[in-house]
Amino acid sequence: MSLPIAEIGEVLNLRNISPDVWDMDVHSPRLAPLAQAGQFVHIRISDRFIPFLRRPLSIGPIDKDVIKLIFIVRGEGTRLLAAKSPGDKIDLIGPLGMPFPMPSDDTLAVLVAGGIGIAPLLLLNQSLPKAVDRLFLLGMRSLKNTPVDLKYAALFNLQLATDDGSAGFHGNVVDLCSQMLKGQQARNINIFACGPVPMLAKIKDIGVTLGVPTYLSLEVPMGCGVGACQSCAVECADGSGYNLVCRDGPVFEAKDIILPRV
Amino acid sequence: MIDTSIQMGGLAFRTPLLTGSGTFGYGDEYRTLIDYSAFGGIITKSISRLPRPGNQPPRICETQLGGLLNSIGLANPGVEVFIADKAQILPFDATQVFISVVGDAVEEFVSVVEKLEFVPAVSGYELNLSCPNVQKGGLSLGGDKDAVAEITRACRNVTKRFISVKLTPHHALVAPLAEAAAAAGVDALTMTNTLVGMVIDAETRRPKLGNVTGGYSGPPLKPVSLAKVWQAAKAVSLPIWASGGITCGLDCIEFLLAGASGLQLGSVLFADPYAPTRILREMSEWCEKRGVKKLSDLIGQLKT
Repeated sequence: MSLPIAEIGEVLNLRNISPDVWDMDVHSPRLAPLAQAGQFVHIRISDRFIPFLRRPLSIGPIDKDVIKLIFIVRGEGTRLLAAKSPGDKIDLIGPLGMPFPMPSDDTLAVLVAGGIGIAPLLLLNQSLPKAVDRLFLLGMRSLKNTPVDLKYAALFNLQLATDDGSAGFHGNVVDLCSQMLKGQQARNINIFACGPVPMLAKIKDIGVTLGVPTYLSLEVPMGCGVGACQSCAVECADGSGYNLVCRDGPVFEAKDIILPRV
Repeated sequence: MIDTSIQMGGLAFRTPLLTGSGTFGYGDEYRTLIDYSAFGGIITKSISRLPRPGNQPPRICETQLGGLLNSIGLANPGVEVFIADKAQILPFDATQVFISVVGDAVEEFVSVVEKLEFVPAVSGYELNLSCPNVQKGGLSLGGDKDAVAEITRACRNVTKRFISVKLTPHHALVAPLAEAAAAAGVDALTMTNTLVGMVIDAETRRPKLGNVTGGYSGPPLKPVSLAKVWQAAKAVSLPIWASGGITCGLDCIEFLLAGASGLQLGSVLFADPYAPTRILREMSEWCEKRGVKKLSDLIGQLKT
C-alpha cells in the first residue's frame, strides 16, 4: 500500500443523480493510479475554515486519471462540495486507509451496498480478478433515491432492493442478500459491504451465521485522516481498545470491531 | 529576507512555528504530505506512563462558525511503547522535538520524563497540566497553583532539558499559575489548552461526543488565547508559546505582539496541513511590507 500524497485535483464533471445525491469526477493523475478499492480521499471543503474539517469520501470507480466520488448532501460541507463547478480545483489527500482484501479466484464475492455506500464497491467490482464470481447488491429507499446512474445495473448485473418496491426486490438489501446466499453455502464466500451502520450490523450477522469472512467499510466523524489525532476511533471486539477508521480501516473484518452506536 | 529564528531557553528555533500537542500525532504521520522546514519544533501527542485507550467515540465534531470540539481522552501507547516505536525516527528534519507529558500524579510525570531522558533526539518537554477530557490529572491538577509548582519542580529535578507547562484557559487569573510555574524553573509557558464545551443534537437528544463534553478549539478560540498569552507575558518574563485559534500569518503576528515567542498550530492542521509553509510566507510578507527585519522584534510590542 502506498503512502498518501497531496494533490490539487480538478473537478471534471458534477452530476445530480437523484435528490441530494451527487456524482463528481475528479482529475487526479497522481492519486488515481495509487488508489485501491476501499481507500478514501480527504477533501478540503472551505478555505475559510467554515465548516472546519475535511470530508472523507470513498474512492469510487477509476477511469485512468479520474476518480469518481459519490456523496449525499447532508450538511454545509457536502452542500459546498455540490456547489463546485467543472474546472474548480479540489484539495485532496489520499489514497488513505486500508483497502478491501482481494479474494482468491475460487471465491464468490458478495458486494452489498446501501445507498451511496456503493462507491467503494464499484471500485472493488472493477478491481476484482475476472475469475472471481460475484453478486452485487444495492439497496435504497426507492428507485428515485438511486445513488448511481442505473446503467450500472445492467453493466454489472446489479441486483436492486427497494424499500417501496419501486425496482427489483421489494424489501431491504439485507433480506435480498440472505435470500441470494441460500444454497450457496458450499462455496467459498467473502462478503464486502458499505452502507448505514444498521445495515452493516445485519450483514455482520449474516457473515457470522454463514461463517464467512465479512468486510465492512465504515464512516465515522474524522479529523486529520492520517492517524495523528485519533478522533475516528472504533472499538476493538477483543477489548484491547480502539482502532482508527482512517488508519486501520475504513475497511475492517466484521469480527474485529464493535460497530459504532447509531 | 526576514529573520524568522527565535532563541528560547538556550535552544535555537529556525521559526517560531510549533505543532499543538495532539494535532500532529508523534510527528511522522504527515511525513509524505508536508514540508517540515517551516516548523521550529514539533510537540507530540501527550504520553503517559501506561497506555491509555482514550474516550468513547464519537470523539470529534464541528461547532458553528468554524469551531471544533474533541474528546480524544489522551489516547496513547504509553512511554515504553512510544520509545520502542518512535524514538528512532526522531527528530524530523532537524526540528526541535518536544514530548508532551501527562499524568494523574506527580510521580507519573516524573517517571515519563525520566524514561525519555534516554532518547537523545528529545529537546524538551511540554507538561500537559490542562487536558479537559480526563477525569483525573489534566485540569484537576492544572487549576491548582501548588500542584503546578509541585509537578514542575519534580520534573525540573530530573531533567536539564527545556520544559514548558501547558496551562488551562479556565482560570480567570493567569498570573498565580504562571508565577508558580516560573518559580519552579520552567523555560516557557504554553497558553493555553482547549476550553470545555459541548454540542447537542436536538433530534436525537444526545450529546454529539461520546464523553458528553470536549475541548473547544479552532478559530473562534483566538480572542481567549490572545488574552491568556498577553496576561501570562505580563506576569512572567518567560517565553510564551501561544496555542488556540491560529489559522494565518496575521494571527501569528497578533500573538507575537501580545507577547508570544512560540506559535502553536493545532486544529488548523486537520483542515490545512500545509498551513505552516503558508503561514510563514504570510508572516514574512507582512513584515517585508512594514520594514520589520526580524520576527523576534515583534514579541511583546503591543501598545496599550
